[in-house]
Amino acid sequence: MLELVGVRHCYGGRMVLDLERFAVPPGALIAMVGPNGSGKSTLLRLLALLEQPTEGEVRLDGEPVCGGPARSRPTAAARRRVTLVEQRPVLFRGTVRENLGYGLVVRGVRRTEVNRVVDNVAARFGIAPLLERHRHQLSEGEVQRVAVARALAVEPEVLLLDEPASSADRAAAQTLYGALAEERRRRPLAICLASHQLEDAYRWADDVRALAEGKLSPVTPENLFRVELPNAGAGDLKHIRVGTIEIAVMTDRAGPAILAVAPSDIFVSRAPLTSSARNVFAGRVTRLARQRPGVVHVTADVGVELVAVVTEAAARDLQLTPGGPVVFAFKASAVRLF
Amino acid sequence: MDFLGEGLRRALALLLAGDAEVTGVVVLTLKVAVTATVIACAIGLPLGFFLATRPFWGRRAAFTLVNTALAFPTVVTGLLLFGLLSRRGPLGGLGWLYTWQAIAVGDVCIALPIAAALSAAAVQGVDPRVRRTAQTLGASAWRTAWAVAREARFALAAVITAAFGHVIAEIGSAMIVGGNIRGSTRTLTTAIALYTGQGEFGLALALGVILLVLALLVNIALQVLQGKAHA
Repeated sequence: MLELVGVRHCYGGRMVLDLERFAVPPGALIAMVGPNGSGKSTLLRLLALLEQPTEGEVRLDGEPVCGGPARSRPTAAARRRVTLVEQRPVLFRGTVRENLGYGLVVRGVRRTEVNRVVDNVAARFGIAPLLERHRHQLSEGEVQRVAVARALAVEPEVLLLDEPASSADRAAAQTLYGALAEERRRRPLAICLASHQLEDAYRWADDVRALAEGKLSPVTPENLFRVELPNAGAGDLKHIRVGTIEIAVMTDRAGPAILAVAPSDIFVSRAPLTSSARNVFAGRVTRLARQRPGVVHVTADVGVELVAVVTEAAARDLQLTPGGPVVFAFKASAVRLF
Repeated sequence: MDFLGEGLRRALALLLAGDAEVTGVVVLTLKVAVTATVIACAIGLPLGFFLATRPFWGRRAAFTLVNTALAFPTVVTGLLLFGLLSRRGPLGGLGWLYTWQAIAVGDVCIALPIAAALSAAAVQGVDPRVRRTAQTLGASAWRTAWAVAREARFALAAVITAAFGHVIAEIGSAMIVGGNIRGSTRTLTTAIALYTGQGEFGLALALGVILLVLALLVNIALQVLQGKAHA
């Protein structure tokens, strides 16, 4: 188990990550979602033992391996159990074959074994035709696939991926995720990937976590907005402008915050209903996605893009179709601020 | 102009004749310069890498110190070294004063800040993802340094060239600790200074031409090596 405990991390005095606990259990498939600058890449670098947290520590199987009161540095043995592929990975000078074998060569593996592993991993990722090419002869998507294959060649216990399919087309992304799934069938492997594509996150991960402003969101990752809470307000009910709409919120807080509405807290209808909900917004369905059996994610433009969850039966009964009318309603007390 | 023309003619004649004294001076100059460059780079390049990549208390002060040392006058280096190597000095027991070793030590002191400061700048110019990638793939500290050095190879080659260029053209320290002894510690630069003072302008100019040719050959050799590395 790889975990961050009591981690606060700063760059130039600015807090970029603040997590009480973030664990990657053995064999887990975790997706982290969040907007740019939410701290996803920093979190991955800390998990990869590439940076020392300003406060707190990184543990492997319960043992502190980096940071903590002793400001310990990770050993090479600890680092070799976790591998990170960055969002825009770099390939070393040399051929793709040399790159794929790098991690094995630095472990002192014999050349014949290195070649066997490299051929094997290249075949699984569909990059065998690229083996003798140099980095400047590859597209961005190919570089990304080579980098993931290079990371898997050393068979880490935990693989950390930062936007692994950001430069890949749909087919290349399918190949990539297919190869990762095959790897997980072959041996125990925990994967923690950062993505800004919620659909991909839900499709490929067992556990989707949202990060905003360096903190873990208490609700699921959809419908997160950065807002400024006014000081003045009648009682604790405030109206916060988000895009072109105003969302009613119960809070006594003021200043910058993240506003979140859980998709399961949104009532979906075709026409406005008489209810106690303070937030009622009419709009058009922009996307319907079946991400789990029996569950449909309804994305609608109601002035901002909001996501709600309904059952397949409810979606059928409401005759929801892309471009069709829809009304989203939720209570002011269902809006979370953190 | 006649004076200059006469000097160039004499230079050409000396070069074509293969004068024994000139050959001796050239060989000694190369021996000192190569030795000093190798030692300075062997210490300076890892030092530059350390400065560029390892955060430690006083790092900024260390950078300032190294950069200031770049502008240290070579005659002052020679003077300090003279104090250390003279019979009464703390290193007098070595008996190196007025030997080629003393000139080499002076040249190492001059080339070391160049190697350290410029290699630190070269390493800082490498994409930080290279280092992180090597580390996350399980490379040791040395392997990581090697991966970074491979990416900075052109800049590091330029560092070696700059160090060699400074050392081969240096005169202040070589004159003080070498003594410009004929057949023993006379280098190209000290010989040029001496012959110019004696009015032997042709000989001085011949040695100047040789110095320039040597510098040119070393640069060409490094460029060829870079070209092969790039292929």
